[in-house]
Amino acid sequence: MWSYEKKLQYPAKVGKANVKMAKYLITQYGGPDGELAASLRYLNQRYTMPTPQAKGILTDIGTEEMAHLEIIATLVYKLMDRASVEELKQVDLGGHYADHGKALFYVNGNGVPWTATYIQAKGDPVADLHEDMAAEEKARATYEWLINLSDDPDLNDTLRFLREREVVHFQRFGETLQIVQEYLDSKKCY
Amino acid sequence: MFIPNDQMRLARAYVPFQVYSEHFNPMEGLLKGTIFPELYFPYRKYHR
Ligand SMILES: [Fe+2]
Repeated sequence: MWSYEKKLQYPAKVGKANVKMAKYLITQYGGPDGELAASLRYLNQRYTMPTPQAKGILTDIGTEEMAHLEIIATLVYKLMDRASVEELKQVDLGGHYADHGKALFYVNGNGVPWTATYIQAKGDPVADLHEDMAAEEKARATYEWLINLSDDPDLNDTLRFLREREVVHFQRFGETLQIVQEYLDSKKCY
Repeated sequence: MFIPNDQMRLARAYVPFQVYSEHFNPMEGLLKGTIFPELYFPYRKYHR
């Protein structure tokens, strides 16, 4: 069960509207290493984690990724604020407009829709935690490439916050991996 | 070169446990994305 707080985890500020940047940033919404993939991956894998700590960390981080999804949506929406159809056409978002109008959708930077094939649940906690650690590094790298693509200090401030959270998540999954490995070792009898 | 200790096994990944020491104040922690100085690794644009 969740409780919802009617505020963002971190302020989603943008300096000025920038439709091109919105098109790039949407990949953290519905792209392969984006926040939707992260949250759905962790919130699903938690059921087959063998220890309460591991279940708890996947629940906590999966929940936080939902909060990040909300920040990304807000940023994209602000970057696209009041964009005209002509402006959308200029950055090749005419195809997006035809399918979705000015709504957001779960796509990557090239408009490819989100797919469950971005994520896995192996039912093997060690394998799953390795996927999760890799996912955090890929999300961190994506934020770095997005910061390189952006010259908006306000937007970059929020992207830096989100990037640092991925560093912290990696550490937590790494600690969880040790806990799970020690638990599995202790269960082994010969 | 990293020298493994005798409790480590081959073919296994290890991340050291965080040892809690000090923390940023809540507002600074929010701005940085973590309250733990030992976990704060900011990105430098165009660094690579
Ligand atoms: Fe994350």
